[in-house]
Amino acid sequence: MDCYTANWNPLGDSAFYRKYELYSMDWDLKEELRDCLVAAAPYGGPIALLRNPWRKEKAASVRPVLDIYSASGMPLASLLWKSGPVVSLGWSAEEELLCVQEDGAVLVYGLHGDFRRHFSMGNEVLQNRVLDARIFHTEFGSGVAILTGAHRFTLSANVGDLKLRRMPEVPGLQSAPSCWTVLCQDRVAHILLAVGPDLYLLDHAACSAVTPPGLAPGVSSFLQMAVSFTYRHLALFTDTGYIWMGTASLKEKLCEFNCNIRAPPKQMVCTHEFLHEVPAASEEIFKIASMAPGALLLEAQKEYEKESQKADEYLREIQELGQLTQAVQQCIEAAGHEHQPDMQKSLLRAASFGKCFLDRFPPDSFVHMCQDLRVLNAVRDYHIGIPLTYSQYKQLTIQVLLDRLVLRRLYPLAIQICEYLRLPEVQGVSRILAHWACYKVQQKDVSDEDVARAINQKLGDTPGVSYSDIAARAYGCGRTELAIKLLEYEPRSGEQVPLLLKMKRSKLALSKAIESGDTDLVFTVLLHLKNELNRGDFFMTLRNQPMALSLYRQFCKHQELETLKDLYNQDDNHQELGSFHIRASYAAEERIEGRVAALQTAADAFYKAKNEFAAKATEDQMRLLRLQRRLEDELGGQFLDLSLHDTVTTLILGGHNKRAEQLARDFRIPDKRLWWLKLTALADLEDWEELEKFSKSKKSPIGYLPFVEICMKQHNKYEAKKYASRVGPEQKVKALLLVGDVAQAADVAIEHRNEAELSLVLSHCTGATDGATADKIQRARAQAQKK
Amino acid sequence: MAAHLSYGRVNLNVLREAVRRELREFLDKCAGSKAIVWDEYLTGPFGLIAQYSLLKEHEVEKMFTLKGNRLPAADVKNIIFFVRPRLELMDIIAENVLSEDRRGPTRDFHILFVPRRSLLCEQRLKDLGVLGSFIHREEYSLDLIPFDGDLLSMESEGAFKECYLEGDQTSLYHAAKGLMTLQALYGTIPQIFGKGECARQVANMMIRMKREFTGSQNSIFPVFDNLLLLDRNVDLLTPLATQLTYEGLIDEIYGIQNSYVKLPPEKFAPKKQGDGGKDLPTEAKKLQLNSAEELYAEIRDKNFNAVGSVLSKKAKIISAAFEERHNAKTVGEIKQFVSQLPHMQAARGSLANRTSIAELIKDVTTSEDFFDKLTVEQEFMSGIDTDKVNNYIEDCIAQKHSLIKVLRLVCLQSVCNSGLKQKVLDYYKREILQTYGYEHILTLHNLEKAGLLKPQTGGRNNYPTIRKTLRLWMDDVNEQNPTDISYVYSGYAPLSVRLAQLLSRPGWRSIEEVLRILPGPHFEERQPLPTGLQKKRQPGENRVTLIFFLGGVTFAEIAALRFLSQLEDGGTEYVIATTKLMNGTSWIEALMEKPF
Repeated sequence: MDCYTANWNPLGDSAFYRKYELYSMDWDLKEELRDCLVAAAPYGGPIALLRNPWRKEKAASVRPVLDIYSASGMPLASLLWKSGPVVSLGWSAEEELLCVQEDGAVLVYGLHGDFRRHFSMGNEVLQNRVLDARIFHTEFGSGVAILTGAHRFTLSANVGDLKLRRMPEVPGLQSAPSCWTVLCQDRVAHILLAVGPDLYLLDHAACSAVTPPGLAPGVSSFLQMAVSFTYRHLALFTDTGYIWMGTASLKEKLCEFNCNIRAPPKQMVCTHEFLHEVPAASEEIFKIASMAPGALLLEAQKEYEKESQKADEYLREIQELGQLTQAVQQCIEAAGHEHQPDMQKSLLRAASFGKCFLDRFPPDSFVHMCQDLRVLNAVRDYHIGIPLTYSQYKQLTIQVLLDRLVLRRLYPLAIQICEYLRLPEVQGVSRILAHWACYKVQQKDVSDEDVARAINQKLGDTPGVSYSDIAARAYGCGRTELAIKLLEYEPRSGEQVPLLLKMKRSKLALSKAIESGDTDLVFTVLLHLKNELNRGDFFMTLRNQPMALSLYRQFCKHQELETLKDLYNQDDNHQELGSFHIRASYAAEERIEGRVAALQTAADAFYKAKNEFAAKATEDQMRLLRLQRRLEDELGGQFLDLSLHDTVTTLILGGHNKRAEQLARDFRIPDKRLWWLKLTALADLEDWEELEKFSKSKKSPIGYLPFVEICMKQHNKYEAKKYASRVGPEQKVKALLLVGDVAQAADVAIEHRNEAELSLVLSHCTGATDGATADKIQRARAQAQKK
Repeated sequence: MAAHLSYGRVNLNVLREAVRRELREFLDKCAGSKAIVWDEYLTGPFGLIAQYSLLKEHEVEKMFTLKGNRLPAADVKNIIFFVRPRLELMDIIAENVLSEDRRGPTRDFHILFVPRRSLLCEQRLKDLGVLGSFIHREEYSLDLIPFDGDLLSMESEGAFKECYLEGDQTSLYHAAKGLMTLQALYGTIPQIFGKGECARQVANMMIRMKREFTGSQNSIFPVFDNLLLLDRNVDLLTPLATQLTYEGLIDEIYGIQNSYVKLPPEKFAPKKQGDGGKDLPTEAKKLQLNSAEELYAEIRDKNFNAVGSVLSKKAKIISAAFEERHNAKTVGEIKQFVSQLPHMQAARGSLANRTSIAELIKDVTTSEDFFDKLTVEQEFMSGIDTDKVNNYIEDCIAQKHSLIKVLRLVCLQSVCNSGLKQKVLDYYKREILQTYGYEHILTLHNLEKAGLLKPQTGGRNNYPTIRKTLRLWMDDVNEQNPTDISYVYSGYAPLSVRLAQLLSRPGWRSIEEVLRILPGPHFEERQPLPTGLQKKRQPGENRVTLIFFLGGVTFAEIAALRFLSQLEDGGTEYVIATTKLMNGTSWIEALMEKPF
């Protein structure tokens, strides 16, 4: 065990640090590291080196080279730096490389050296140039802090959502601070800077002087300061070779030591070695002469393998203390913090061994640890080069780790991990495949056909893959044709259509929208097309898409009546044009002349449509309108927009019988209806005399029963009876019953020898008064039956 | 509250709960007190899924009807517009938002589109400069609303007109969406049958949508065995005829809206002695009609002529039950009697209502005119004198009976004759225009476009072939104890239901000839199921068919389908879905156009 803790160093009283080598770097550095700007991304991310950074003495023609390596030193990218002088490099949380130039421009690169975008840190920075810069990480994302030539600080806490903040002035600051750093406290970024023997803390409102507790006297200047990744701890290096370490809040000192080096370190880079605090579980187990249950269990298992009875002794010891569960847990946890698979295995074996003696130890933690370690060991592999610790991995989450693999284009490994962890397809394999496809579309040397086919072959109908996202990427790379091909595989029209519109393939978008049946989508495309095309082309497009045409007509009906007319005109749809003008004659026109003119246009259209009936009817309507107008002028009263029938009725009610007759003749109202009309009108007037005259004017085409009915309706039995006698034989019984002459009705029915009529009369016989009649009917029935 | 939705083979309460949940989730997104501004058309359908109490629980304090100008004052944090996605409504909303008093307390605006969000509407709001005023803009996919244990409706009034006249498939898209929701809740429907152009389109959209959702595999055991999609224009005849079931007649005479009916109050006056009927209630009596009421469920689908005997039988049973109290001797017996009293009283109340309604209907059905009209209808449907001008229709026009009544009859004649002879058609049209006004030329055009009114082409009348093959006219109809669906129209068997019946047994192959005469394609689609979800039918277990009427369904058709469901050896039970519950009157009314 002694050798195991050899790389442990104590920090304070209660913690140890340990350091071990992760990779022996394979990079082939031509120049010394100290000549380069170096940035290593957190969480085992890539390393960027800007060789030959700007040196004034060198000729401008020698361009520096930007190299990017994986954490294990595998080259990822190398490019000639063609932009301005770079002051600082740093990685964002999304593993984007931020290169801060002297002029305050920040250039953003992907880890394959692909240029993403750039932004500026503002005018003030541009004017005063960048003296120094820091990239820092907060819970909001990654930020950039700038020290300008005017000794002022500008920072943005999140480069993803760029908001520049200019920090307040430090009083009396005439030269650059000897050192400075960014601190993050209470979700706010501060700047700590050293000027001679003084320390200042800058927040966005004020500048305050601070003093670290327990600082050894005699410090005349701070040469370096460093803050821990979590912003909890701070280290200060003074010109006396003294190092102070404490909390970042500057409220507590943790330790100090003197290293007797007075020259400031030029740049400290620590990429191939790994330094960290020894986790509690590991400490418990591996601490020299530890009696922790985990340590005992590890021993027990080793002895067991040696087939020694000591195994039993150790085990008993743990069990007597009732700490076996704890022991197993410790071993599992410690395994997680080990970097070497051998050590992981022996700890897990110990845990597994201990588990055998436990009744109900939940298996999850053991299983998950095994899975996590497999994943971790896979990504820590030299070829992959992501040396994550277990805690980092848990913090990052598997989703982010997958993202990082995707970012490194390690698609097969990512998919293997998804499958191994049995992640749901939508979060796992589909997502990776979609990323792969997005990468694929950027391969410009492969033809559209081949890319589209390759993507479809691999993705097929995998649930959760959005072809439109991939197509959008292809379009972003300027490959419109490929994007269209890819969209063919997209089953969701709601996704297809907007992209097609964006790509200005509106006609294709239209047919896709129509296919979907989603009318709202069709409307959207139509309005788009309407703005994009000239009117003629737009109409032609509509003409070839009947469904779109009908929808657009609907739209016009409510929104653009004139366009509707043009559409009908284009299609020579005279029938609808006719209807259109009929509507217009009511809606648009008030004056009779205007209305008649609209109707005339309608009639002409109906003729063109070969709808003779409608044309004639419309002409009749024009005639009626003019006539009604004349009637209003001559007789007063309301005639306009009455139906022909009602116009005649109104005339009769007004006593203008002659005019009524004339109108009926002019419009050839059928006799039967005219009789009904007059009958009703005269009865309404209770003009019984005129009614009688009318009834005798000629033989009634509707018979005389209606006369009886209408008189009875007006409760005039006297008049009704007059007509009852004239009712034809078929309806005589009914008429007589209507006027209440049951006895005579019975006689007629008997005479007719009609069974139905007999029953009808019988049903009208009320007990007391019609007893005799009822008897008479019964007798007649009996007689009829005899025959 | 909605127990009547769960009595059937398919528990439609699941759907109701799902839509209620969605509503609650939306309301909770708008934290704080709320006022809802209603597109008035939506209040009826919403009443079926969420009462005011639910809204109140989620801090809805005020409700307004959507209208122009300024919103009424309300001391609430959120104003939520519940609207259909229609441009004209967007204009009103914009007016409301723009005239909001800026000096008053600021209120958050939200908009809930029912049943679908619309880019077009949002564009309009944007053009009007108010789109940014809305914090939440969401959609509430209330496509199919459960009306009863076996009945779903979209209550989309304009569906028929839009689909068959204007070529606007919006409601078909919503229907397909609604079917997808149903499948998400009740499992994939393995077989889809259909007849008609719209049916074909809905099926296509469903298949397409299914492809869009490949990610979420449905692992619900299918409740429905079949889906039958039927175009209303395959059977234009049925809704034109007067429905003769109890519920159908209530609808024909008084109009049922969102399962409620308003009745003249006189018959429902509380009977007090010596009152002389002085203060009769003047407000219409509003009654809910669904299977929650036991007696209603029993008689709703009977032919009206069979209702009287049921009611009198019920009356006897109830009064006998009340008589029981005289026989109750022991305390225990009395207690038992008393415990049943509330139920009995409810039954008595229900019986009284039903009897009153039956009396109201009887007044109409025994009138001479009703009889004459029915005679003409039945003559047409059985194929008598369909090719010449009908005297009764002529008289109706001359006496200016209601135009809708006339149009129903003329259309019925046209449909029963595969179109009218040009001379006959022109005569009717002229009579109608002269009597009711020339503006109705637009209505007539609409009816012609919909195929309800047309000249006979090719001089061939196909109706007799269809009638005979599908046995649409049954002479020996038994109204009291029916043996065939034709009882719902006292002789005429609704074509649509006959198609459903023949599909289930013996299959449509037997009627290929007739299917070819009827408009639109007929088709069959299978939606493959994973083996684990395939059904193994128990012997004697009925299939469940979801039948979707695109363009509307009548209560008589529903009654006929329920009759088939209840047949002992029927083999199929039906759940009915439709774009709109309708009758001939509301149907024609929706097709009418009044330019002024």
